[in-house]
Amino acid sequence: MAFTIGNNFIERSITGAIAFLKESVFTDEYASRDGLMQSIDPRMKLVTSGMLLLTALLTKNIAVVLYIYSVSLIFTYLSKINIGFFLKRTWVFIPLFSLFIAVPALFNIFTPGEAIANFNIFGLHLIVTRPGLSGALLFVMRVITSVSIVVLLSITTRHSETLKALRLFKVPQIFVMIFGMCYRYIYLLIEAVENTYLAIRSRVGRQVHYKKGQQVVAWSMASLWQRSYRMNEEVYSAMLSRGYAGEPVVFNDFKTKPWDWMWLLLIIIICVIGVRFI
Amino acid sequence: MSDTIFQLKDVNYSYLGKFPALSHIDLTIEKARMVAVIGANGSGKSTLLQMLDGLIFPDSGTVTAFGTDINERTFADLSFSRNFRRKVGFVFQNPDVQLFCPTVKEDILFGPLQLKEDRAQTEKRLDRLVAILGLGALLDRSPHQLSVGEKRKVAIASTLIIDPEVIILDEPTAGLDPMTTRHIIDILKKENSLGKTVITSTHDLHIVEEISDMVCVFGNDKKIVRCGPSSEILKDTPLLQAHNLVHIHAHRHDGSTHVHPHDHPSHEHSH
Repeated sequence: MAFTIGNNFIERSITGAIAFLKESVFTDEYASRDGLMQSIDPRMKLVTSGMLLLTALLTKNIAVVLYIYSVSLIFTYLSKINIGFFLKRTWVFIPLFSLFIAVPALFNIFTPGEAIANFNIFGLHLIVTRPGLSGALLFVMRVITSVSIVVLLSITTRHSETLKALRLFKVPQIFVMIFGMCYRYIYLLIEAVENTYLAIRSRVGRQVHYKKGQQVVAWSMASLWQRSYRMNEEVYSAMLSRGYAGEPVVFNDFKTKPWDWMWLLLIIIICVIGVRFI
Repeated sequence: MSDTIFQLKDVNYSYLGKFPALSHIDLTIEKARMVAVIGANGSGKSTLLQMLDGLIFPDSGTVTAFGTDINERTFADLSFSRNFRRKVGFVFQNPDVQLFCPTVKEDILFGPLQLKEDRAQTEKRLDRLVAILGLGALLDRSPHQLSVGEKRKVAIASTLIIDPEVIILDEPTAGLDPMTTRHIIDILKKENSLGKTVITSTHDLHIVEEISDMVCVFGNDKKIVRCGPSSEILKDTPLLQAHNLVHIHAHRHDGSTHVHPHDHPSHEHSH
């Protein structure tokens, strides 16, 4: 038995995962655009996103959730983000899974109430109830709204700034620094995986016996582990060399502008409208 | 006060206690000198530089820096360690190791922040370095988005910002294009003209004459074979050839191919 280089499961998984990580985690293409959300201080953005999230999560009124979702889509548009890209990014995975989770809640077995539709599946008589439907819709909309707010925050803010903004919530400096370093070196290790994979591909030709393929993958995992271990020692030396003495001091240069406070006021008004008037 | 910055006496070092990396090293480095450490791959250059930066300590023998013996105990004293780190800056061979912060600006400022340097002074130095090295457009970028040459310049900036008396560089021009190499050489010469001691390890004989007034040649037995004025060492072709630093070079002139030692210091050769 053999697998063909260029069309096997491991290869597709590696290249797919690398491409996904590079595109979704490491690109700051949207964060560097000149749009609405990009112009706001990251700390303020974190706080206001939290406020929108809480409004969407604490309400039992689906109209409020829809209203917050519409607001997030308007912000997306004003932040110069392609709506098609944004919808694809936010609807795939988590909201779809939540849809599956919500399906049982539609039926009278879990949510009794007024029937709006009924049908038989494999002899099982199922009734879709009104409270079941509204409960499931509320759940799915909450999930999609929350995911949209978080995705909007993450793609309009440079990763490093989001991390630094965490300091606002008294996250210790050492954690902020370790998160930052993880982010930095995961990229480097992804590149190492990519290069190792290319090096293997350039030498093995088109077909490899599946057993050999397993060995190659195992070797490259071991070599990656060894490289990251060695790098860990070297990075620590580089930190010591520049005066690190066990307690890192992290650079902080955030300054709020009048526009950031206006933004805060705007979000408060949006949330109050949602809670009081809808 | 003595002008001696580093003095190594009969220093031996091995990795994991069984792989020798330095053997019977005796070396004195004076203030404001430009020293090049040359040798083949794996001859012990990087290990020596790490020892000079107080990152590793000898198995036997002594290392004195600024008149004080340095070892694990002396570095346990925070004020000594901080003072030493202010005086000695090290540019690592792999810039990816040295640039561990999320943005270029944070990386450059990491040293002064840890050493609790004066903020206004640091910002002034940052502006100066950014102008000299042309890093203005890179400050908010992540190091992973930079080219090797840009990374190397940022690594140099992150060392120079603490304004050290001694600058140690491990193969600073490896893999760089000629323009960036030139730029780095100019920066090192400028720093030396300001009274800084510059210690560089390299294989690149093209640059040795410019970045050194003293050269130490490492042999494959992890010993320093010879230390002396760069003008003398670079002319000693048999010595360089014996330690894999020059090679037999074949090329074409006027339609005919001929062979001679690749002797970099003199750019012209007779045929």
